[in-house]
Amino acid sequence: MSALTTIYVDNVVSHLPEDSRGDIAAEIKATIDDMVEDRLGDLEHPADEQTAAAEREVLEELGDPAQLSREYTNSPQHLIGPKSYPVFIWAIRWVLPLVAVAAAVTNSIAFIATNDEVQIGALIGQLVGNTIVALLTAFAAITIIFALGDKEMSGGAADKIAGTKKDWSVDQLRATDAKANQIRAEAVLNLIFLVLLALIPLIPTSLVYVGHLNNGETFINPDLESGWLLGYWAFLTLMAVIEVIKLVRSSTSAALIITGVVLDVAMAVFLTIALLTQQVLHPDLTSASGAEVQQIITVIAIWAIVIWDQISTWRAHRANR
Amino acid sequence: MNEDEEQALATHEQELRRGTVVFASLVACRQPQYGYSLLTTLTEAGIATEANTLYPLLRRLEKQGLLSAEWNTEQARPRKYYSVTTSGAEVAAALHSQWLELNTSITKLWKEGTP
Repeated sequence: MSALTTIYVDNVVSHLPEDSRGDIAAEIKATIDDMVEDRLGDLEHPADEQTAAAEREVLEELGDPAQLSREYTNSPQHLIGPKSYPVFIWAIRWVLPLVAVAAAVTNSIAFIATNDEVQIGALIGQLVGNTIVALLTAFAAITIIFALGDKEMSGGAADKIAGTKKDWSVDQLRATDAKANQIRAEAVLNLIFLVLLALIPLIPTSLVYVGHLNNGETFINPDLESGWLLGYWAFLTLMAVIEVIKLVRSSTSAALIITGVVLDVAMAVFLTIALLTQQVLHPDLTSASGAEVQQIITVIAIWAIVIWDQISTWRAHRANR
Repeated sequence: MNEDEEQALATHEQELRRGTVVFASLVACRQPQYGYSLLTTLTEAGIATEANTLYPLLRRLEKQGLLSAEWNTEQARPRKYYSVTTSGAEVAAALHSQWLELNTSITKLWKEGTP
């Protein structure tokens, strides 16, 4: 079976329920083989070019894989279409836990910094309330962005009614290779996220309305040894290199994933040591009674993100195999 | 026929054919058929069908219990064979009766409406 047929079949089944993919893929492959064989007729030893031409004809007769996929799911029009749905789910899985952790950390910092006596009940109350609001806002924002992007990409409902089969050709297959697209989209989002992480030590507190606490300096203790910051940026640079490789190759591999896992865990250990051995956060943002709580919350948040990242990465890798 | 009319005709034909293909597939699958053999059988019988419509349809009929499917791995190429089930055969018989009734009705209507 040629690479073209493999990409075509992958495009059809990638948006279908996981338990039906193998069966449908096998049936489509068998059909493509039958149709190619039928076109080649009585030729006993067809030339490679003849087989390739017959295969192109067959794939074009079967039409746009996205359309075929929709026929299988028999689904109505979606707010988020099948093209962007996997990236949408990926974004939700990634962004919502991060927003929850970020909201919990920033709210606890703000709460501890603005209250002399830290009462756990009041702290939890404020954390839960504000985190739910942050999660709902993030979910709404992501959904709206993807829905608008999807409408733009698909050109609205018009092309679906007109029948996309005639407008589709095999040449579009490589451009719509679903797996490659998803890997590229994830790599770009990860790079943006890494840049944001790299900027954290430089962001002034005035940007998040707590600038009055330390005269608009950064969140980081100005007396922190520069080696810690350089180490932090070095880890992020290595992670960015992995994402750039994925972006350029439009594919990932077990070796890249394992390197990523090792880097994530090494960075988490590095940050845990940094946070537990010295004052990393700006001293004006923390009260003596809350310093320990802040450090523990931050360490728990870091490990929660690392563990979540590993689970999502392996699940995505398994789903894409 | 202008472009809009052609578009409208194409849509209505597609709807009409969709129902016909379900009925024709049930009838044809009284003998076990794999996807491409069914496609060829239907085309040769004058029921134009597209592969990208037929395969998802077969799967839906299988889910509804009207067709049963079995992989045959004994041949050089593994193929999924579909056969009509008992309830599928009953549905096909009922559809056949309705088809005949509809044919009578539409013929009568056509004659009455013809000046």
